[in-house]
This record gives sequence, structure tokens and C-alpha cells, in this order.
Amino acid sequence: MSANFRKALEGIVVCDFSWVGAGPIATNVLGQCGAEIIKIESVTRPDILRKGGPFKDGNSQGLERSGYFANRNPNKKCIALNMSIPEARDVAVRLIKKSDIVINNFRVGQMEKWNLGWEDVKAINPRIIYITMSLQGLTGPHKSFMGYGVNLNALCGLTEQSAFKDGRPFGTGTNYTDHVMVPCHTLFGVMAALLQREVTGKGQTVAISQLESAIAMKPSDVMAYAANGDLLGPLGYGDAHAAPHGVYTTLGYRKWIAISIFSEKDWRIFKDLMGNPGWADETKFSSLSARKENEDELNANIDAWTRDQYAGRLAERLRTNGIQAGEVNDARAAIEDPHLIERNFWAYLDHPVVGSTLYNRAPIVFSKTPVEMKTAAPLLGEHTHKVLTDILGYSEEEIDQLTKKNVLT
Amino acid sequence: MDKMSYDSLGNLRVLDFTGELGPYAAKLYAGLGADVIHLEPMTGDPLRQVGPFYRNEPGMDRSLQFLYYNAGKRGMALDLEKPEGQEIFLKLCAKADLLLESFVPGYLEGLGMSYDRLSAINPRLVQTSITPFGSFGPYKAMPGSDLICSAMGGFLFLAGIENEKPVRSCDNQAYRMAEAYAAVGSSIALLFAKRTGIGQFVDVSCLEAAGMALENAAQYWDLQGVIRRGRGKVAGEATIHPCKDGYIAIVAIMGKNKVMWEPFVGWMKEEQIEEWEVFDNDKWIDDSYRATKEGYETFCRIFEEFTMKHDKLTLYEKGQAHKVALTPVSNGKDLLENPQLAYRKYWNTVYNPKLSGDITYPGAPYELGDLKWRLGDTAPSLGQHTAQILGELGYTDGCIEALAKEGIVHVG
Repeated sequence: MSANFRKALEGIVVCDFSWVGAGPIATNVLGQCGAEIIKIESVTRPDILRKGGPFKDGNSQGLERSGYFANRNPNKKCIALNMSIPEARDVAVRLIKKSDIVINNFRVGQMEKWNLGWEDVKAINPRIIYITMSLQGLTGPHKSFMGYGVNLNALCGLTEQSAFKDGRPFGTGTNYTDHVMVPCHTLFGVMAALLQREVTGKGQTVAISQLESAIAMKPSDVMAYAANGDLLGPLGYGDAHAAPHGVYTTLGYRKWIAISIFSEKDWRIFKDLMGNPGWADETKFSSLSARKENEDELNANIDAWTRDQYAGRLAERLRTNGIQAGEVNDARAAIEDPHLIERNFWAYLDHPVVGSTLYNRAPIVFSKTPVEMKTAAPLLGEHTHKVLTDILGYSEEEIDQLTKKNVLT
Repeated sequence: MDKMSYDSLGNLRVLDFTGELGPYAAKLYAGLGADVIHLEPMTGDPLRQVGPFYRNEPGMDRSLQFLYYNAGKRGMALDLEKPEGQEIFLKLCAKADLLLESFVPGYLEGLGMSYDRLSAINPRLVQTSITPFGSFGPYKAMPGSDLICSAMGGFLFLAGIENEKPVRSCDNQAYRMAEAYAAVGSSIALLFAKRTGIGQFVDVSCLEAAGMALENAAQYWDLQGVIRRGRGKVAGEATIHPCKDGYIAIVAIMGKNKVMWEPFVGWMKEEQIEEWEVFDNDKWIDDSYRATKEGYETFCRIFEEFTMKHDKLTLYEKGQAHKVALTPVSNGKDLLENPQLAYRKYWNTVYNPKLSGDITYPGAPYELGDLKWRLGDTAPSLGQHTAQILGELGYTDGCIEALAKEGIVHVG
């Protein structure tokens, strides 16, 4: 790795009105790459994720103990600004003048109420990239429909196939779209607009429909239905082009091994490693299509072989022989994984209330510019004074006046 | 400045040497108008062999995923293991802004085409490598499928409850996540390169991308010593229920939020469903009650008696009219017929002359004020633009013919 001589996004300033999931995850990535993120909150309207578990030692008191909030917000500076007081707008305007990006994920119309819609902001600073997020777009019969991550997972088609035969669909077990599709497309849209600004000198809007961005990363169901009239059935842990392909029981509490076999060569090696049991040579397992046809029985036989072995040792043995295999790690095992540790994927940052706690890096490593987490998630309003004086040029007297009017709360 | 440069990333040139893992990254660039060249080995991108296929018949130009991920790209096939093939590749790199590739770590170095070599030819070049485990670290050389990366990253474990085995997500999400972050990382490096003239190597792994999607599971362990899995058996809180023609998802309450619960009770009352009064009780506001077997089973018994009488779309529209966060568990048909997506003309149906039929594609993931999203031309057949691209590099027709004859390139 070359010397880290400069941050990739040094000098980019983000005026961050976003909260909860997708918006803060997007600005987190920008912040790790060197952008200055100014997060706007208020004690009258804190980021509601501050009340979302887990909490340090399970104690949910106050607004500063949530690990859910923390992991999305390292490196950021937080100012307390009560936008319901008219004088607050002037602080926001000064920040927008210094910013490159303004991001919000409020319901439609909130920014306009503060006279901070795109037209207003463009007049304040024509170089701004202005991001809005909606669930299903700003037009159409369902534009006002509501939904949370689990709803969107279901609506976009992600949940339907995440099911075992004859079982209820399950999905990812997370608010997946909020954490992946929406922030990733937000980030790419923002960066494309920044690249374009290098050419044109002008900012522009980036409007994300959460539903439409989610579908773009899972095209198969609609394409197959439109082309062939087929509905893609439950996937279980299988793959149309591989067998065996799945999750098998091993020793221990909720311990499994994942194995994928895509070629006949791998199947032969795998049979050898199993000690060539009689069942494996039966014609019903002699080709991919035969194995797919008899997949339940195939999987039961493999499960019987794996269930009295340790997942880690077995995975190691299979991999040494070129078979794709890995432990189904729970979060603790992923945190302790030697590869992720060597790649500095995890970081522990000190925080004045909860002490040293765990964060993860954005999944990007640059050879010449750092991706780093320097400071823990901010306390609500931790940087109000510093940002107003250092970045926005307020005098102490002006700050006193704003404080008296409860603007900075 | 011509108009092109205002509504597209037409000033960016992207090389996409990826296969089953990688293609969505370059598609994001193609979608905003960058000139993307999809490089394939002489035998073709393995994604061409991945179903589902048009009319369920395998064929080089019939993989629906290949058609989707490579729409809007030009295509060229070359043999990277032959010196003349390498020469062409180096000439392409000399003119490119971004190289996206998903070779096994060390493969390009082994051919004498390390990032240092490419960078010596074009110091502004950004090279982004998309691999299962990344280009350094103890697992770098390990093969890894989407399932293995999802499993090892801690992501798969969440897709189940209690002692159940986890289920997969569709469309190889560990790959898709890595591709999305590869596109983002590349764009950040491109901005830096534009400003400083300095390109760099960007390393993106499926394992880390999966690790980024753990929601709060890592913090549950770190802060509370708790290993969490998915949710699904807390009554009305992100639960899935059967209906007449499939399933629906509902979030009728979160935490102790009574204000959320009331519209649900109001709806059930209005429908006069049997035993609706049971829901009109503050015990449901207590999340510990909803998490009990009794709470969950009671909720299912009463609510499903109602849902089983209606179809997904009816429940969706009725629930939403009552301010209840209820959505269908959509399948491909539901999505294609979804009134909102139809109104917004999200789907793109395009005639494909090679297949003599229509292909329907997902549309724009976002709307930008000036940069216009486009689906672009149909994904290239093998080597479709080889001659055109070699021509742009200055090769004469005679040269191109000779290269094709020697098996260094395929001219489609």
C-alpha cells in the first residue's frame, strides 16, 4: 500500500438532514472517504435510531447508548438545530453555502416548508447536489403509501423466493433494502452528479425511489415472468446451477456449514472427501439434473455426514481440496474472523458515554487514499459550537443570541 | 461543450472484464451514459450460461441476467493469455478511466499486467477488483460462491429464526452488494483522479459487502453479548401472513408505539372480522407479550382468518388506506402488474431481434436532474463490437482479420 497522502473526498462538505437508515449509511461511506459530514439534529427531533437497540450493556437510557445509531454515524459532526424556530434557517443556509451535498429523507414537502426545497437551495448554492428519498417515487397512485424495511423487502420481490418449500417466505431477516440498495444507489447517484459537476460546474438533484432502486438489483423474477410466464419458486438455500448447494448441520449450537458444488469435477472430489459412500454413486445423484431432481434426499445424506463434524475444521478440509465451503458465521464469528481482522474491517472507537465500541468500515479499500473511522458517533449537538464558529463564521455574540432563542437545541 | 456532456457521463470510458460476479457495477455507469466496453474471454462470459433463459432454452444470447446486466455496453472478445491479446488490452487501458475486473487475485499480475504496469501506461487509470474475499488477506485465493460469502460474512445467519437453517436471497445478493460498492468506490477514486491526475487500485470483496449488511447484529454482540437472528414471530411486527393468492407483510406496530397500533385495530373493527375486539387491548402494546407464542399465535389466528379471504392487492390497498404498513410479498407477476410501477413506466420492454421477441427489463433506479438514465442498446453478442473497438484503437481491417484468424480476438 502506498502512503496515505490525501483523502479521496477531502474538501467535500455534506449538509446532512437524513436520519434512520439509508441516508446516514450513505453519508457514513462519504465520511469514511474523507468528506466532512455535518449532521443536523435537534433534541426536539433526534435521529430516532438513537432509541433503537442494541444499547451498551442493555441500558437504553438517554440518546447516546445505541449501537445501531453509532455504526451509521462515525466521523460525523453533529449540530443541534431546531428547525421549527425561524432563525434556524439562517444557520442552515450558511451551511448550505459551504456544502457540496444536501441530503434528506424526510417525507415529501418538509424541506419546502423550511424554504429549503431544491429551487431554494439552488438559489443559495448552484453547485449543490440535492438528494431526496421517497418510498415509491413522487408520482403515481401509491406515492403516499407507507412501509418499513420489511415491507419494502416484500414489495420489491426480495422476500418471495427466500423461503423453503411449503413454508412461509422469510426474507433476509433484516431491513435489507434500507441497508444496501437504497444507500448504494444514493451514493452512486451522488458521485455521478459530483463527477458531472467537474464538467458542468453545476449541481443537480438526485431523487431515489426506494422501490425502484431495490428492484434494479434483483431483475430475475420479472424478466422470467415476462419472457416465459414463469414464477420463480422458493429458493431455500439452493441454486439452479449447483447441487449439492446448501447449508448443512454441524456440531454445536446453531452451527452450519455452507457448501456449493457447481461442477462434476467438484462433485467427484467431494464424494472422495466423504469417503465415497454407496449412496453417492447411485444414478439418482450421477448428474447435476439428477441431483437437482433428488435434492432433498441428497441434502439429507450430506447432512447426515456433516452433523457430527466441526464446521470450521470441515470447511478448512474442503477448501484445501478446492471445494467451495465456509462456516455460516454468526456476528460474533464474523467479528472474530481472521481475514476480516487482517483487512481492518472492524474498528473500535472511543465514545465519552459508552467507551470503546465496535464499528465496521465501508467495504472498499483504496491503494492510495484512506478509508478511515477517526471518531465515534457524535453526541447530539456535540459540535454545534465548533461548526458554527469554525465553519460557518458565527461570532460568540451571534451564538449567544441564537442560544437565547433556543435555536441551537 | 456539446449537449452530450450535460446529460450523460459520456466523457467516461469504462472497461468491464467481469463475469457472473461484477456486471452490475459497470451497468450503473452504462445507465448514466458512460462508454462501457464489456470484455469477454474467447469462450464468452460465463453469465451467458446462467438461467433463466428466454423461452427456457439455453443459448449464448438467451440468458435473461446477461441481457439485463450488460445492456448498454459494447462487447469485445479477446484472448488475454496471448501477447497480442495483452497488447490490445493495454491499449484499451491506456485510453480508459476505469477498469472493473473480477479475476482471481494475482491472475493479471501473473500475466504481467499488474496495476503498477497499467498505471505506468495510464497514471489516471482506476482499477477496481471485485472478488469473493478481496485481493489481500488469508482467504484471498479461496474460491467463494455467493452462498459462501453470505455465510462467512455473517449475513446468511440472520435469514432465519430460532434453530432453523437460514434461507438465501434471490439474485446472488452478496455479488450484487459487492458490485454496488465497487461502482461507488470506483466513482470516488475517479473523482480523486479527475482532481489530482492520480489513479489507484480499489479492492472490493463480497465478504466485506455482506459484513456491511449485518444491520445491528455485530453491535448486538459487542454491546450486549447477544447473538441475534431475523425477526418473524413477534405478532404484527414485521410478520408475513398467507392470503388468498400468496402472502403479505405487515408492520402494525413497533416497540411500544400505540399510535401505530390504533389504525390497525380501527381497520379490523371496520371490517368486522371475528374476534377483532381481542386486538383492542393494551397488552398488544407490550412487545414482550407480542413476542410470546400465545401472542403470535393469537394474532395469526384472528388476522389470517381475514387475510385468507382476500388477495394481496386488495389487502395492500385496503391496509394502506387505513394507514397500516402492509405490503404484498410480490412475485414477478405482481411486480409486472403493480399499478404504481406501471404508472411510472418503470419496466422497459424492448424487442430483441436476435430472439425475435420482447424482453422486459427493470428501469431507472433513480432520477437525476440533468444526467439522464437509459437502458441502452441490447447486450452485445460475443465480439459484436470487436472490429469497431479495434478500429478506434487504430487497427486496420486487415490487421483485425488476421487477429481474428489467429484466435486472438473474436469478431462477432
